[in-house]
Amino acid sequence: MKLKLKTKKILLIEDYAVMRKTIREMLYALEAHAIVEAENGTAAITAMGKTRFNIVLCDYNLGPGKNGLQILEEARFRKLLPFNAIFIMVTAEQDPGMVLGAMENKPDDYLTKPFTAQQLYSRLERHIQRKKVLANIERELERGNLALAIFYCDKLLQTNGKKMRTQLMKLRAELAITVSDFSAAKTIYEEILEQREINWARLGLGKIFLLQGEIPDATQTFQNVIAENPMMMEAYDWLARTYEAADESADAQEILHAAVDLSPQAILRQKHLAVIAERNGNTDVAKNAYETVIKLGKNSVFKAPADFSGLAKIHHKTGTEIEALKVLDNMRQAFPNDPEAELRSATLETEIYLKINEKELSEQAYRRAFELHTKMANLVPKDLNIDMAKACYINDDADKADAILNNLVKNNIDDDEFIAEIKAMHQSLGMDNHADSLIKKTRQTLVDINNRGVSLFKQGDLQQAINLLEKAIEKMPDNKTIILNMLKILLHDSKANGSSLKKLAQIQHYIDRAVKLGSAREKIGNIRMEFNKLLLNHNAKTSAHD
Amino acid sequence: MTEKPDSKIDFPAILASSVHDIKNSLGAIRALIAELATQHQELAGKNDFIQLEYEANRMNNSLMQLLILYKIDRKRFQISIDEHSTLDILNEIVAQQADLLALNNIQLETACPEDLYCFCDAALICNAIGTILNNAQRYAHKRILLSAYRQDEYVAFSIEDDGEGYPEAFLNMPPRAKNMQIDYHTGSTGLGLYFVAIIAEMHGNGHKKGLILNDNHSSLNVGGARFILFLP
Repeated sequence: MKLKLKTKKILLIEDYAVMRKTIREMLYALEAHAIVEAENGTAAITAMGKTRFNIVLCDYNLGPGKNGLQILEEARFRKLLPFNAIFIMVTAEQDPGMVLGAMENKPDDYLTKPFTAQQLYSRLERHIQRKKVLANIERELERGNLALAIFYCDKLLQTNGKKMRTQLMKLRAELAITVSDFSAAKTIYEEILEQREINWARLGLGKIFLLQGEIPDATQTFQNVIAENPMMMEAYDWLARTYEAADESADAQEILHAAVDLSPQAILRQKHLAVIAERNGNTDVAKNAYETVIKLGKNSVFKAPADFSGLAKIHHKTGTEIEALKVLDNMRQAFPNDPEAELRSATLETEIYLKINEKELSEQAYRRAFELHTKMANLVPKDLNIDMAKACYINDDADKADAILNNLVKNNIDDDEFIAEIKAMHQSLGMDNHADSLIKKTRQTLVDINNRGVSLFKQGDLQQAINLLEKAIEKMPDNKTIILNMLKILLHDSKANGSSLKKLAQIQHYIDRAVKLGSAREKIGNIRMEFNKLLLNHNAKTSAHD
Repeated sequence: MTEKPDSKIDFPAILASSVHDIKNSLGAIRALIAELATQHQELAGKNDFIQLEYEANRMNNSLMQLLILYKIDRKRFQISIDEHSTLDILNEIVAQQADLLALNNIQLETACPEDLYCFCDAALICNAIGTILNNAQRYAHKRILLSAYRQDEYVAFSIEDDGEGYPEAFLNMPPRAKNMQIDYHTGSTGLGLYFVAIIAEMHGNGHKKGLILNDNHSSLNVGGARFILFLP
């Protein structure tokens, strides 16, 4: 079969004009005519915003500005590529998988420069074939139809023979983990490991241990994977998560530190290290990590105002206030006219200026913060709300502070880490135990609602249970536990008493909310899958009526 | 005898960083060669020009192998093993080498079952076999056969040529010495063979490890060289 690219929209990202021409000629020879060229990251992202490309050939090293990996990260994060697009990273590295593969986002393939036309053709052909096989699965994944994706994956495993079998099994196991079907995932990984030791399958078993709360087994597994594969960065991240789950944050910091020493380019891992080191009171490590994050973030879609305010807080803590103010200035420059960045600066400035006896400036900053906070309303990130509450206390506005905290506690009562941060803030102001009664009361209310909900549910009074939770959600709109419980009851109701468009829309609404609030994938996955089944049933029934 | 602390130089690290530097310069040279080829179409097909490209690629390969060996030595290298279609691997190697083989009027034949799969680090194996193929074409008369097949619990990649075969003295050497043999006649340092042997060894499955074999049992002519890479 001769490969033809007549119908393919191709994006060619390469800063070197001669190289662009060479590759373009190779593509023309395959009858490609819809080729867009970009010489830097900004142009590439703009092009992807305008056109849905089928194939992207991207040079890794693009001079100043974004590198190839940052383009890929941004394209994936902003969903600029269609589900079946092929992304090939062109590099000068001979072992690019190792050098760049340590990142969270992996391209479909690497191509080492210089390459022959024939090499390019055979790669494209292979990936076009592969994407064709996976098309149904990837389309449903993009739509969030996990049940259908699993259905297609199982079908392929039955019919596709040996071809791509291991790859499909890997995908199937990952889907199983997403919908909390841990035993199915475990069976697959064990079947693969019975044949031979494969690091991703071993890592998969470790994930399952962790997600099921079997911490010692998870720790052991990840430690073994790292001992055998010291360059497998993913394993370090999972081991760090395991240590965190066991409240061993010193160990978590140590393992992340080891990982960034080996592979310093991954911005999200550096952020993780910064946050943990800060929590552990290890200001030197945190400062270094934040500085690296800011440097790496320059061209990254993952740059955030919180990186700067994190660094500024550390300077503030260690008595280098002038440095802190400089960092906040840098933040304003990096995020011009960004209300979040402005608010982060203002809340910290009121505190810092007070410390260096600039009362006037401190009060000015507070007035700005107050105004911005009112304007942003519920768009304020929760960690910034803690900063805001602190600023209020410092400026003797305890009522406003308590009002903010009241909301925060209600909506995040089930997030132990966050509640601990609220307590730490009070401690830093010498207001130990200030929020204890509020926390205790909120916890009790939550327990009561859940208990009443469960007993109504058990009595079969679904409507009463739904009403109860609806009221609770009105009071605590951002509480994940209540929303997840609501979803479980709604799903049960639709299954037991039949579904309607109205009911389905309601479920979709709460799923969207849970996702937005950052519910763990494993928790929401199973709910999504049940919902997909309902949708399929509903569609089948309504079309049977036609 | 006491050593001054500042006299302790980390020669391998200096060498590695120099190699890296040279490789970057070589990258620039190769880009210039490519630029020349596009600007002067009449050059591109010339034998001397293709030879120039070939030598630059060969240097690049050697430097890359040095860097990987350095990383292995410093425990900073890790192969990433996954399942690959053996046919894909052979196709990739052919795609890399086709131009050069055509230049030397050598016919490259391949043989591989379509449903043969192999657990390996595909990029490394392509590189390793490419190195052996490069060697083979210096000694082949007209033909090289690149094939892959299953043998017991191994997948075998075999490269056979119709040349005069390896010298007896070479075949009689102990394996390690063989892989580091410097041949002043051809200018080959044996680095390539050593590299392939190390890469083979890094491919393990349980107690089994990959290995290489050289003999003069080519199926293309009597006494022709045969190289086989076995991966468990």
